[in-house]
Amino acid sequence: MYLGPLVLTFVVGTVLIALYFIPNHAAQEVNAQLLLWATIVYAFALILGSVSLMGTHWRKIRLRAEGSFFSWVAIVALVATTLMGVVWGVAEKSPLDRFYNAVNSPLASTMFALLAFFIASAAFRAFRARNVEATLLLVTAVVMMIGRVSIGEFIWPGFPALTEWLLDVPNLAAKRAIAIGVGLGAISTALKIILGIERSYLGRQR
Amino acid sequence: MPPELDTRWFDPTRINLLVGILLFLAFLVINILRARAGGSFFIRPLAGLQALDEAIGRATEMGRPILYMPGLGDMSEVGTLASITIMGRVSRKVAELGCDMEVPCYDPMVMAIIDGVARQAYREVGREHDYKAGSVHYVSAQQFAYVAAVTGIMLRDRPAANIYMGSFYAESLFLAETGNLTGAIQIAGCDKPTQLPFFVCACDYTLLGEELFAAGAYIGREPVQLATIAAQDWAKALAMALIVLGLLLTALGHPELGQWLKVS
Repeated sequence: MYLGPLVLTFVVGTVLIALYFIPNHAAQEVNAQLLLWATIVYAFALILGSVSLMGTHWRKIRLRAEGSFFSWVAIVALVATTLMGVVWGVAEKSPLDRFYNAVNSPLASTMFALLAFFIASAAFRAFRARNVEATLLLVTAVVMMIGRVSIGEFIWPGFPALTEWLLDVPNLAAKRAIAIGVGLGAISTALKIILGIERSYLGRQR
Repeated sequence: MPPELDTRWFDPTRINLLVGILLFLAFLVINILRARAGGSFFIRPLAGLQALDEAIGRATEMGRPILYMPGLGDMSEVGTLASITIMGRVSRKVAELGCDMEVPCYDPMVMAIIDGVARQAYREVGREHDYKAGSVHYVSAQQFAYVAAVTGIMLRDRPAANIYMGSFYAESLFLAETGNLTGAIQIAGCDKPTQLPFFVCACDYTLLGEELFAAGAYIGREPVQLATIAAQDWAKALAMALIVLGLLLTALGHPELGQWLKVS
């Protein structure tokens, strides 16, 4: 039962790796076609997603769960935006485009703006000097904050250079170490899937 | 004049990557053969993964659900694939203990796959009928709409444990801080170095970078899976040796190795 998907994964995975090393125009056209297939599959998955979304919210409405009013909002918004797109299209200045720019974009910006407050609360917790590491973090953060504002240079001219050093040497070294680990982990995971060692995406644990 | 078409069958500037992949493949095969021959592998304990069982047990005792977030990556992100592996193991444990789990998804394709994985986990422990259809559900492919929906779930349902595994971006701190406010035990694993500090600040346990990819093998404890972690460690040791050697040779006036290691 699982042999078909495993063979398919092996063939597609191997072909895609090979295409990365083949610059030939014919091979790159095949690559582009495969990416197009992925887009088509995604479009069908979006239908599944919409059905799931409707189901989740309809269940909440039926059970009169807490916040079920917002489920009505979600369903009405989903149906309304879909209809707008189908009837008037998705071009610039279309009703859907105007609706998106007038409602969705400001809401997303508002959410993003809240990030500053979340950073402040997380920083407050992280910078409590409980042990040596936390104290080191606190001192580094204070130096970084002072060095990044114009008054920092006024207090001590060496602050901006110190912050640059902190970013370019210890910070970058740690980031690169994590990046190398992530890269090797990603290759390992990809090879495990291509070779059929990892099958959990098929719903199989072993 | 039409642009000249590339007729080459191999890009010589990528030879270093090809050698790297082949070496990694060799490490993988050697370690799998070692595992099949009965060799044992030491994997250092990962506190975040040891805490997973504790978190699921705590949720069961409290009668509250577990919220599992597979990140914002699609199926082309290796972080998402690692998350699906972990999710399979977690849902098995959840099924065994009879706890509730909710998985809000950002990508519809990821949702369909996770739903299948969770169903199969319930089937494997003989509790297929306990699986709640809709526990794995789609939310939105808009980053902040997803954040709004998931933080809403956290504040309304008060899950006992929040598990974040996969590729996260700017939403990481929103989710983790809101989860922290609700008092849930929080375990995160992320492959994006820029988001890791946020999870470290706001979560009880964090899997850093590569630990996310090792997690599936670590939880499963199957010898072949553990062998892949050993192969990863061999590759890491080789990378470290090459970096040091490249630095030394460049300092001595021979930059050839350093240049060869550069990715075009």
